[in-house]
Amino acid sequence: MASHAQLSSHFFGDLLDSIIVDVASECHRIARLGLDRNLEEEEEELKLSAQARERVTDPNNSGEANSKYVVDIFGQTHPPIASDVFECMNCHRPIMAGRFAPHLEKCMGKGRKARFKGTRSSTAAQNRHSRGSPVSTYPPYPNSTSTNQLSNGTSGVAGEEYSNGTFPEP
Amino acid sequence: MRASVNRPPTPDVGDTQEKQPTLEEIINIKFIESGEKERLMELLRERLIECGWKDEMKALCRAFVKKKGRNNVTVDDLVHLITPKGRASIPDSIKAELLQRIRTFLVSAAL
Repeated sequence: MASHAQLSSHFFGDLLDSIIVDVASECHRIARLGLDRNLEEEEEELKLSAQARERVTDPNNSGEANSKYVVDIFGQTHPPIASDVFECMNCHRPIMAGRFAPHLEKCMGKGRKARFKGTRSSTAAQNRHSRGSPVSTYPPYPNSTSTNQLSNGTSGVAGEEYSNGTFPEP
Repeated sequence: MRASVNRPPTPDVGDTQEKQPTLEEIINIKFIESGEKERLMELLRERLIECGWKDEMKALCRAFVKKKGRNNVTVDDLVHLITPKGRASIPDSIKAELLQRIRTFLVSAAL
């Protein structure tokens, strides 16, 4: 009669054998489906893709002048500075896309000069000021209790400039 | 003489019965039916993953596959490859834990 110890070992062996077969089966599947990227053939592919990546990053580092000749995955080339022209939604001038960010800085008032843009009268400037005006008809935030006061933190879209609580002279 | 007349006698019903199931078989049936086998298998699987045993076995397989070529490998090859090493490299603590659980089961299931 088998002892408890023998039986236990036997059942343990059974469990272990099943798990071993599972692991072998899993590895076999990975091997046959080519899911393991470390085999030699894949190593070749990896080397090739690494080489290609170097080729792609190099021209970008050597300045914008060469990037005209870099081709993207769809086979298109792009000029170094985006050349589409559209209308600035602030000042309504035609602006080149690649120059839009610096333009916006000047146009929307990050720079000193833009703050006093009111002297160059235009509808855009009037709109910008009226948004933050104390007599504005609609409050910028639904929870602002008073539309007559411009308190810290509840100012309108151009709130950064007015955060010190004062309202610049138009 | 016609062959059909001399056919061997129909075996007696008693003779066709299987031998009595062994103790091992009886317990195995209880082991499975109670769900304990499944539970312990999952426990063992989890432990073997935690301690890195499975990764070691997978590394062995990968090396073998690399050597032989991935389309020339059978499940049997891999089973024979990892069985001896696999059995030998079970951490003692895990083996002890499982054996303890099995013994407990045997006591509770025993007859």
